[in-house]
Amino acid sequence: MKTSAAVPFRPSARSHPAAGRTVVRAGPLAFVVRRRAAAAGLLLIVLTAAATLVSLGVGSTFIAPLDVVRALAGDGPSTVVVQDLRLPRIVLGLAVGAVLGLSGALLQAVSRNPLASPDVVGVSQGAGLAATLVMSAGLGSAWLGPFALLGGLAAAAAVFAVSGRHGLAAHRFVLGGVAVALALKALTEVFIVGADPIEGQRARIWLAGSLAGLGHRETLTLLVPVLLLAPVLVWAGRAMDTTALDDDVARGLGVRVVRRRLALAGVAVVLAALATSQAGAVDFVALAAPQLARRLVRAERPPLACAALTGALLTVVADLIARTAFAPVQLPVGVLTAALGGPYLLWLLVRRRNR
Amino acid sequence: MARVTDRGGRARRPVVLALSALLLAAAVLASLAAGSRGIAPGHVLDALLHPDGGEESTIVRSLRLPRTVTGVAAGAALALSGVLMQALTRNPLADPRIMGVTSGASLGVVLAISVFGLTALPAYIWFGIAGAALSGTFVYALAARTRDGASPVTLALAGTALDASLSGVVVGVLTVDSQTFDQYRFWAVGSLAGRPPEVALWLLPFVAAGVVLAFGAARGLDALALGDDLARGLGRNVGMVRLAAAVAAIMLTGAAVAAAGPIGFVGLAVPHLARGLVGAGHRWVLAVSVLLGPALLLAADVIGRLVTPPAEVRAGVVTALIGAPFLIMLVRRARTVTA
Repeated sequence: MKTSAAVPFRPSARSHPAAGRTVVRAGPLAFVVRRRAAAAGLLLIVLTAAATLVSLGVGSTFIAPLDVVRALAGDGPSTVVVQDLRLPRIVLGLAVGAVLGLSGALLQAVSRNPLASPDVVGVSQGAGLAATLVMSAGLGSAWLGPFALLGGLAAAAAVFAVSGRHGLAAHRFVLGGVAVALALKALTEVFIVGADPIEGQRARIWLAGSLAGLGHRETLTLLVPVLLLAPVLVWAGRAMDTTALDDDVARGLGVRVVRRRLALAGVAVVLAALATSQAGAVDFVALAAPQLARRLVRAERPPLACAALTGALLTVVADLIARTAFAPVQLPVGVLTAALGGPYLLWLLVRRRNR
Repeated sequence: MARVTDRGGRARRPVVLALSALLLAAAVLASLAAGSRGIAPGHVLDALLHPDGGEESTIVRSLRLPRTVTGVAAGAALALSGVLMQALTRNPLADPRIMGVTSGASLGVVLAISVFGLTALPAYIWFGIAGAALSGTFVYALAARTRDGASPVTLALAGTALDASLSGVVVGVLTVDSQTFDQYRFWAVGSLAGRPPEVALWLLPFVAAGVVLAFGAARGLDALALGDDLARGLGRNVGMVRLAAAVAAIMLTGAAVAAAGPIGFVGLAVPHLARGLVGAGHRWVLAVSVLLGPALLLAADVIGRLVTPPAEVRAGVVTALIGAPFLIMLVRRARTVTA
């Protein structure tokens, strides 16, 4: 296992390919189920559902969980608060978190680098810059998605061009990405200052990564393209495992390494740009979610579904804290994730001291 | 070819120093002249030397002069602090902002306003220094902990992570506490605009003390570059040199942030530029940096005033735009990572 040392995971006897797996047969179909991953996935679903219920209940008026459930069914006095005020932003939080978790898991697997996440290496900032341009030019929000995609892809191309030549597993690649991200942020600020004050302020608020005032429309704009990408994601979940192998081993297995790596990175960039275009900068979710999922599943590469669930859980909990901890003031969720994500990144770095 | 014959361009050093001084003078003049209302350089001198109470004279003396003096002091402080930090950590990527020291200082200033209700600049400076000291110590401890295996790149990454989270806390405090926001707004984030004249006065003793300490430690830093053992063999008190340099770096960063907010990359780019021009000897590097730092910061400020009229882009944003490509270049360079 020395070859894939980018992820300091020590394989135990239990992670032997044959261990911990069950074959489920249903007529002509057969699936291999990783038991640990399935259990982790179930746990994540339960936790996310619980966090969602709590988040729906907590706010300027408290609603007991049972009443929340009743309100969700369209019954009881709290229906308006739950369904119209709280549900839309929480659903968006779930969607954004899940998409960011997916994006981070793909990029980290492709680069074999736990620090290579779209929000650290500049992809999110590229999408943010493009979206700021759209806003400050006064274009409608329909343009946000396409432009953010272009911005994210351009930023990714720039990062690969300036710091990809030593391989994506190196810290050098990450720091190059951080530098690109800083430049993009500065450029964004220039455009905000130069814009019409009202449009500029709108862009600034949006960039802070707040879910306040957003809702089902943003969720749909985010999820429709992601659902269209679903077949690609299924392919990516499988391709990830072979692509993350050592290059020679992968080639030996007949994988076209470079092409596949580019395709997977491209999917990751698209996902991150989509999430950023709808909710602004919610930093560090894409970094942390796959790593947490990895520890939960105890596998080198967690299934994409687990990474997505972890991202959704993280974002909903962060948004809950951000909007209630300092009530009546609401923090943008992105501010909270930035404050918490930094120490986490530090911890990752110190732990990997022998690299 | 001069390099080969006179060993590292020794004869060139005084010329470089003079040119740097000239550049700084030009930047000062530009900073006094440029803005939403441009004033001809000749009139700037008139306004400075023979104030007539007219409009131009008032603009120059009460608006642009304090701003320029603040820029000179903050630019010099940041550049020197960068030289010291690069020498101390033997890390070419060190910079007060990249290592998270500036955001520690700005968190100190924000807490001074928010928690302790302080409103005077001297208090900001002390809290800035305290914040810089805490975050600096943290990064240095991290450096010591990872010294065996961590490359400069890893350390710089750790610094940016610290910077991200401390800046996150600053934004959080400002969002929650609107009163603090109102006050802090004027000390904005990395801007030289709207400084009362006293700022420069308060800043001066700290910057002066930092400059004296830095130059005092210069010889010792030269020895330190050879490694601790060799430095001891040369008769240097390694601990004292380190302490003097660290105290100077922290004082300079804290004071600069209290006066101008977190401004990055001046401390990264200027020392490299200076070393390229006058070689690695710290006395010369410090001397050139103390001139080029303010020149760069003032140039950034002037560009910020001119690109998006009538609004102004903060100087810290412009230095980030100039500095980020520089950082990328350093990261790409193979030499950086061998350490």
